[in-house]
Order: sequence, then C-alpha cells, then structure tokens
Amino acid sequence: MKTRLTILTAVLALVSLVYAADPPHKSETASLVVPSAHNTAEADAMRVHGEQRYRANCGRCHAAPQKFPPRMMATIVRHMRVRATITDEDMRLVLFYMTQ
Amino acid sequence: MDHIVKNFEGRPGRTAQATCLLLLFCVLPTLLTAQALDPVLETERPVPVLTGNAGFFTNVTSGKDELVPSINPVILLPLGDRWLIESRAEFKGAFQRPDGGGSYGGKVEQEVDYLQVDYIANRYVTVTAGRFLTPFGIYNERLYPIWIRSLQPTPLIFPLGTGSSDGAMLRGGFSLNPKVNLNYATYFSTLSTVNKFESDRTAGGRLGFFLPGPRIEAGASWQKELQHERSNAFGFHFAWQPTALPLNLRSEYARSHDGSGYWFEAAYRLSQVPFWQKALRLTEVVGRAQQLFAGEISEKEAEEYGLPDVNTRQGDFGLNYYLRDGLKAAASYSRRFNSDGNMNLWTVGIAYRFAFPLGSVGPQ
Repeated sequence: MKTRLTILTAVLALVSLVYAADPPHKSETASLVVPSAHNTAEADAMRVHGEQRYRANCGRCHAAPQKFPPRMMATIVRHMRVRATITDEDMRLVLFYMTQ
Repeated sequence: MDHIVKNFEGRPGRTAQATCLLLLFCVLPTLLTAQALDPVLETERPVPVLTGNAGFFTNVTSGKDELVPSINPVILLPLGDRWLIESRAEFKGAFQRPDGGGSYGGKVEQEVDYLQVDYIANRYVTVTAGRFLTPFGIYNERLYPIWIRSLQPTPLIFPLGTGSSDGAMLRGGFSLNPKVNLNYATYFSTLSTVNKFESDRTAGGRLGFFLPGPRIEAGASWQKELQHERSNAFGFHFAWQPTALPLNLRSEYARSHDGSGYWFEAAYRLSQVPFWQKALRLTEVVGRAQQLFAGEISEKEAEEYGLPDVNTRQGDFGLNYYLRDGLKAAASYSRRFNSDGNMNLWTVGIAYRFAFPLGSVGPQ
C-alpha cells in the first residue's frame, strides 16, 4: 500500500511540477498544428530542418514512408510523437516537411 | 494462473483504487490545461486513420515447416488538438501439418496489444491511460511490427520485461540543448486477469538520450514487479545510424528473474554499392548476434513466456528487399546453439504496411 501511495504521490508531484514550470500558453498550443512560414526563404529553411529531423527521428526505426495527405499526416505524426517520444519541435518540423 | 486469481481476489480494494488512479490521470491534465485552443485550419485537422501491417511468412524450424499469416490493424482516433485514442490488435495464425501428414491446421492467436488514450499535456508530458506497450527497451514499442523489424525472428530476450501493461503512464521527449534530446516514460500497471487484457502489477520506467547530430541513442529501463517474487528487471539499449552510411546498428541488454541476455544487430542498405544500383538500393542485409542466459524459472514457465529454458546462443542473417513503399520481402536464416540440441531456423515471406484515412482528407 505504501509503495503504491508513494508512486502515486511521485507521479502527481511530477505532473504538477512540470505544469508549474511550463504552463501551456498560446504559442505552445499553436505548436500542435502545422507551423506557418512567413516567406519563401523561411519555408525553405523549415523544409530543410524538417527533412533533417525526419531522417534523424523516423529513420531510427523504419525506412522512409511516402508522404500522406496533410490531415492523415497530422494524425500519424501525433501517433509517432507518443510512440517514439519525439520532441514537440521535431514533430512540428517533420509535419511541415511532410505536408508543405 | 491460480496464484494470480488468488492474489486478485485477496485484495478486492485494488481494482477500485486502480480505477480511481486511471480516472485521476484522465481528468487531471484537463483541469490543468483547461483553456481555449487556437483554431486549426480544416485542411490541417487530423483525421482518423486505419493503419497497420499484414504479412505471410513460412518458418522452417529443424526441418518442420509452419505457415504464419498475420494482420495487425491499428486505429488512430485524434480528438481535438491534444487527444489521441489508439489501438492495435494482433491476429496471428500458426499452421502446421500433423506428424502423420495431411493438411495444415492450427490456431489463430488474438491479442490486444494496446488500447490507450493519450493526452498531450504540454511539450514535456504526454499522459497515457489504458492498455499500453510496456516501455522496456526499444524493441517492444518501436521495432516489433513486421514491416519495421529487420529480422523476422524476435530477439531471444524479447519477452523479458516487455508485453502490455494496464494502467497509466507519463512520457515525453524534449531538447536539453540543441545537441541532446531526452526522452522518458514512467508507468504503473495493475494486475488484470481479464481475457485479452492480462497484465501484471508492475511499475517502471525508461530514460533515454538521443543525439540528433551523430544519430546516437542510448538509454536504460527499469521495472519492479509488485507481485509474486517482487523482483526487479533492468535493461539498456543503444542505437546508432551513422550519417555517412546507410547502416543501422541496434543493441539491447536485459536482466530479470526470468533470464538475461543481449543482442547486437546491424542492418546495411546496399544503396552505396556502385553496381546493380536498381536492385541493390532496395536491398538490405542484416546480421544479429545474441545470447540468453536462462533464469530461475521452470521449463513450463519458459515455454509460456516464449523463452528458451537453457542457456542459448544464436546467430541470425537476413535479407530484405523493399519492393515499394511499405511492402517488403524478407528472408532469414538463424543457427541456434544450446544444450537441447542445435537447430536451424529459416524464415521467408512478405510484409505490407497499410494506411487509410477514415474520413475526408480534402483536396490533395
């Protein structure tokens, strides 16, 4: 019983700490969708970074898949964010590369 | 099984406690982050997806052949900007001819690998509740699907610490600095004897570091059994994809009450070979060396867990040919050495990964 209570307390403390350290704000919630580039140069740079992140993260486990439609890709990237613990920034850039 | 049932019945309050814990995990993040989210463009809104893999393999073990068709459908159901319900099932046949001859026959195994709700609380934490793949090492969560794995036979140590867990988990990945990403998972699993949703009462976690520059990943896993022997298990994993070569190096070590061991694997895509480019760039050669040291379990338990009951060494060699996106032909040969008698294992077959939207994806 003590062990479980300790685990529960530790988990809740961790959640609270993380939340307190970084409460969700507007820019972060926006980061859950495909980021927008303000000009062509910025878009090109994001595409290059996106491809690098894509090769580094996705290539760790499997061969490169084809590009899917954006709405499908958004779901798959969310799934992979959880499955492969991909960072938020990597997820956004990979999604941009795979959809733009 | 009796001791599990006895354990379960002897602590009736634990089911209620586990349920409360699950509810807490589901509700807490919502309370923490309840606020309006930015609108998402309709063309970017995630759509439900049916994906997964199907395959058909012929295995020949010590001269006895077995047909193994399988299908693993995965349902992905995004809700809003932060939620995802995901599930994977496994339907796997194992058909053999009877010893006296005759037509192939056998059973079809059905499993629910995971059925989980994910909530992306913030950039550091994703909360998961339900049935999930136990985060121990990297093979179980990331390399298991037949269209992903480089060799069709799973590593000898694969059953150690892995499988599925019923409970709650916190996980995430974030950058410590531009050169280092940290990823973690920590979980609690409750005892379950429900058909297709069996799990042990355990707690554990995994911590990993990924260096995106050199593409090196290393980490460690830990698991505490909160029933039976209350034993500990731990493991280490390492992966490296050199940027200059189409090479994939992976390794895992695991140690538990049921046994211990390691595997090293190298998969090399022949895309840099200067001749027969058209065919060789789609070809991958794979090698794996592995060893298992039998644990303190009976022969019956070892068979139940899918572990050899004696110390075993094995070498594996494989050849994969990527016919098109998501479709590959695979063949492998393994030589197993142990005191029960050395044996050859052959595998040949085909694996396909599919993905369909379950809704309109709009203009392409």
